Amino acid sequence: MRSELLDEAVTVRADFQGGVVTPLAFRRRGREHRVVRVNARWIDRVPRHPHFFFSVTDESGDTYQLQLQGGDLLWWLDAVMLET
Amino acid sequence: MRSRPLAAPDGAHPALRPSRANPTAPAPAVKGAASGRESEESRSGAEAGAGTAGMPEASGSARPGDVCVAPEPPLLASPERVVLHVDIDAFFAAIEQRLDPRLAGRPVIVGAGVIASCSYEARRFGLRAGMRLSEARQRCPEVVILAGHAQTYRCFAENIFGLCRTFSPAVETYLDEAYCDLTGTARLHGDALGAAARLKREILGATGLTVTCGVGPNRMLAKLIGKTVKPDGLAEIAASEAEEFLTSRAVDQLAGVGHAHARTLRSMNVHTIGEMRALPADVLAALFGAPGRLLYERCRGRDTAPVHEREIPVSISRETSFHRDTAERAEIDGMLEYLASRACRTMRELGVVARTVAVRLRYSDNEGAERERTLPAADDADPAVIEAARALLGALFTRRVALHAVGLVLSNFVPAGATQGALFEEREAGRRAALYRAFDRVRGAYGHGVLVSGRALHLKGRLEEDAHGFRLRTPSLTK
Repeated sequence: MRSELLDEAVTVRADFQGGVVTPLAFRRRGREHRVVRVNARWIDRVPRHPHFFFSVTDESGDTYQLQLQGGDLLWWLDAVMLET
Repeated sequence: MRSRPLAAPDGAHPALRPSRANPTAPAPAVKGAASGRESEESRSGAEAGAGTAGMPEASGSARPGDVCVAPEPPLLASPERVVLHVDIDAFFAAIEQRLDPRLAGRPVIVGAGVIASCSYEARRFGLRAGMRLSEARQRCPEVVILAGHAQTYRCFAENIFGLCRTFSPAVETYLDEAYCDLTGTARLHGDALGAAARLKREILGATGLTVTCGVGPNRMLAKLIGKTVKPDGLAEIAASEAEEFLTSRAVDQLAGVGHAHARTLRSMNVHTIGEMRALPADVLAALFGAPGRLLYERCRGRDTAPVHEREIPVSISRETSFHRDTAERAEIDGMLEYLASRACRTMRELGVVARTVAVRLRYSDNEGAERERTLPAADDADPAVIEAARALLGALFTRRVALHAVGLVLSNFVPAGATQGALFEEREAGRRAALYRAFDRVRGAYGHGVLVSGRALHLKGRLEEDAHGFRLRTPSLTK
């Protein structure tokens, strides 16, 4: 098991209800990945604007790390976890 | 009374299973029995001391030649204090299992070279922190080895410590554990055990991680009782239970007794904390120096160390191993400068200045070297620290062997502004401080890697970067 860095800006469909951000799906290379599970969420408060991180599993069972940057509200696909 | 590993109070989360009793703990003592034991203890201590170290002079009505023992304070810790120890179970490995559900239930270890953290599934195979990865693979071929995500672990820890602060006005934090002073919070939070159970639930809900909580009359006992119910346990020990709880425990379980002290004690046929009580304070001081007197108190269940946010850390260190062992001077210098600038930035954020700089090296043949230097004046600016670090590196890196890891440690701190400034360089010092404050703001906003100087530029393009700076192979942060 290892994580491969992707560092790609992605389009994410997310739910902001109740003041909680929950990614629902993201589009990568023209394909939409539906999020079936948010495994973990954490916040990095060291930068001036907080960065919100999510570990998500898509419908194919792959696990990705998404990041929402609090300052510019840009979504990044940080990494994918791979079975080795 | 024995340690009171308790079932979770009413309404506790299912994860809070009843704490397991300490199998070696004796039955609860009758109230008041402690004082009787204590006088016995004092007598045996006096007898032991009479033959070894000089006892106090006889006074009052004592006859010449009598051994007079000063009345010892009660063998119990102060009953007023309530300290909660929170320990995150298998911290790094547990987070990795949260991040990727495919790892749940599998033996997982985090580390590079040696194990930094291993899941409880891995521990069943005999894997332990500090063990070499090669040995871990032999013992458990199916183990999943991960390099780790230091920044992610820090975020989780800060979240947990933030929850601790909602329960306690004073929280002292370490990498994966915290001490919370719950003294005087009973009217706010109810009894300490109930508060600890609620804190466990909140941590589980917010992070998905389990913690082990120990409640005691002081830090030492709170941590020790927690250890008996790991993982995901909850236990409390009262002051009156301290003596019996400690008596049968091995000496190396006592805070401050490491491998070397334990070896010394065992060579004297002192194996348990109870046996250690027979040694007078003077003997322990002769054996271990000033900490010996502290151990004299601790083996009696007394620990008066307060719980406080450490405003001034003992040390700030930044270390990493190289992606491959190297003897290339430019790479080593660049990494050391980068680590120094990271440590200096942390120092400035904490508002302290360091008097001492140390450099640590680890060669590829596992040989280590470390040397420290005192700065002419306490400083928090990068150039002063980097200059000292480079001089130390020049003096240390003498073998014709590649380096595996390098590290820098700042210590001997004083609050910034508490040092005497130079009479004629005040203006220059002010300009320099403003410059580095500006650097820190830029780095805070855009990542540390956005501003690197000097030899650290060598790392640009060679190492991957993220919002925090260069991605190091095995970043290790220590307060």
